[in-house]
Amino acid sequence: MSPVLLELRGLEVNYGGIRAVKGIDLEVREGELVCLIGANGAGKSTTLRAICGLLAPRAGSVRYSGADTAGVPMHELPRKGLVMVPEGRGIFAQLTVEENLFMGAFTRSDIGIAQDLEHQYETFPRLKERRTQTAGTLSGGEQQMLAIGRALMARPRLLLLDEPSMGLAPRLVAKIFEIVREIAAEGVTILLVEQNARLALEVASRGYVMESGEITLADVSAALLANPKVREAYLGEGAG
Amino acid sequence: MVNGLTLGAVYAIVALGYTMVYGIIQLINFAHGELVMIGAMVAFTVINLLAAAGMPPLAVVLIGTACAIPVCMLVGYAMERLAYRPLRQAPRLAPLITAIGVSIILQHLAMLVWSRNVMAFPQIIPLTSYSFLGAIVTGVQLTIVGLCFAMMAGLALLVYRTRLGTAMRATAQNPQVARLMGVDVNRVIAATFIIGAALGAVAGVMFGTYYGVAQYTMGSVLGLKAFAAAVLGGIGNVPGAMVGGLVLGVVEALGAGYIGELTDLCRYGLGPEARCADGGHFVLFGSNYQDVFAFVVLILVLVFRPSGLLGERVGDRA
Ligand SMILES: Nc1ncnc2c1ncn2[C@@H]1O[C@H](COP(=O)(O)OP(=O)(O)O)[C@@H](O)[C@H]1O
Ligand SMILES: [Mg+2]
Repeated sequence: MSPVLLELRGLEVNYGGIRAVKGIDLEVREGELVCLIGANGAGKSTTLRAICGLLAPRAGSVRYSGADTAGVPMHELPRKGLVMVPEGRGIFAQLTVEENLFMGAFTRSDIGIAQDLEHQYETFPRLKERRTQTAGTLSGGEQQMLAIGRALMARPRLLLLDEPSMGLAPRLVAKIFEIVREIAAEGVTILLVEQNARLALEVASRGYVMESGEITLADVSAALLANPKVREAYLGEGAG
Repeated sequence: MVNGLTLGAVYAIVALGYTMVYGIIQLINFAHGELVMIGAMVAFTVINLLAAAGMPPLAVVLIGTACAIPVCMLVGYAMERLAYRPLRQAPRLAPLITAIGVSIILQHLAMLVWSRNVMAFPQIIPLTSYSFLGAIVTGVQLTIVGLCFAMMAGLALLVYRTRLGTAMRATAQNPQVARLMGVDVNRVIAATFIIGAALGAVAGVMFGTYYGVAQYTMGSVLGLKAFAAAVLGGIGNVPGAMVGGLVLGVVEALGAGYIGELTDLCRYGLGPEARCADGGHFVLFGSNYQDVFAFVVLILVLVFRPSGLLGERVGDRA
């Protein structure tokens, strides 16, 4: 088995007095595509925010690439390859499409940036057509492509995706999942947070199920897809 | 008109300091005017010393400015670091009140250092004037306008064409996501203060040189006018501050020129006869009301077009 790239141990995260994540264990190995599914409000986004340093854990640890991330300034993490596409995309609406992409490569200074930009434009031809437009003028689907392309500009080792299919038309949802699969095929390790459990489990090799701040199930995707509880609660099928 | 353009260019440079800081942390840095004052005071001190030593005028002014810039940058940085950064998460009123406090503190410190007296600019610059498109332009005016435009162009390049500038705009729009991209937001904010302070220092020297005097209170009115200019252009908007400054300067100069004529009651046959006889005047508001225009403009903008001339929607960044 490949080495562990991300490891959460007893992770607890609070918002003031609200316990959003209640001591979870989770690991992602190098090269894996793992998904974290659960209902709205389960604590998935909070978990991702704690991984990338936006929130400080109340207890427990986040280890990335063998080192505890506590005390590492948040802006150092993308340089180490830990990159997140936040919930709601978080594009810079008043920057142009191309400036957004360059922001993704902010921590880099190597000569590969221009080449990577071309690569994003090949993957997302719409972005190339709109490179000089401000990003706020893009459609929802295009903004999601931009958010993903921007994250890829950082050359991530571990990509955290928070609900990339949220609010998109079915055709676009399928397209986004196809892109996720391609990114994984290029060797990027991915932790995918989704409410669309079926599609997430179909692309991921393993999955975690989160309920009110706790991990209640963890297994390979096929087993989760076959699990009656999962089928009932997350795949929209009646019991039995 | 030329006078208005010159002052307007200086307002624009000062307004940039307000607008950049507002754009990035939504703080109206009321102490920015004091930075401009400190720039002028430091430069004047150095200039007077060097002029007394008989150095050539150009070198004197350049060295004076070169001393003012780092001092202001340091004060600007210290102000961000010590006064505003600890309040970054606080409700918006807290840093605003702090800004007023910083302004008062700096003004009084300046009073302690330089006393209440007006510092005069030594008579070292020869008064040359040129005729340009029918207007009489002095060398000082030309230099100020030229320098201001050069600084504006430089700043526009920095903001719109460099990595730091892109990071500044990204941080202004969404600091959380900028951090996700690996931007050290604290450094970007500090850089914004420092750049604004450097511009302010030069503006202070220019303003002081133009009027030939500098005093510890000069920052208040100049600062408020530049703030009005920033609001006029749309606060948070870099090109807006430039346009706002120039427009305000010209409005002010034209207003000052015509207000006497327009409020001359004799024109309307309303003045007392003793005064109006033989083409006399009875002026209600003379050109000493010049300063009022900035604030009339400010109020009009706030009432009719709060988003300013180059209107970025207010509340765009919640
Ligand atoms: N900024 C916040 N302040 C307070 N509570 C929050 C905040 N964000 C999320 N929560 C709460 O934390 C819990 C987990 O939220 P979240 O991690 O966003 O869930 P998910 O991403 O799984 O939908 C929810 O109960 C939510 O109401
Ligand atoms: Mg969420």
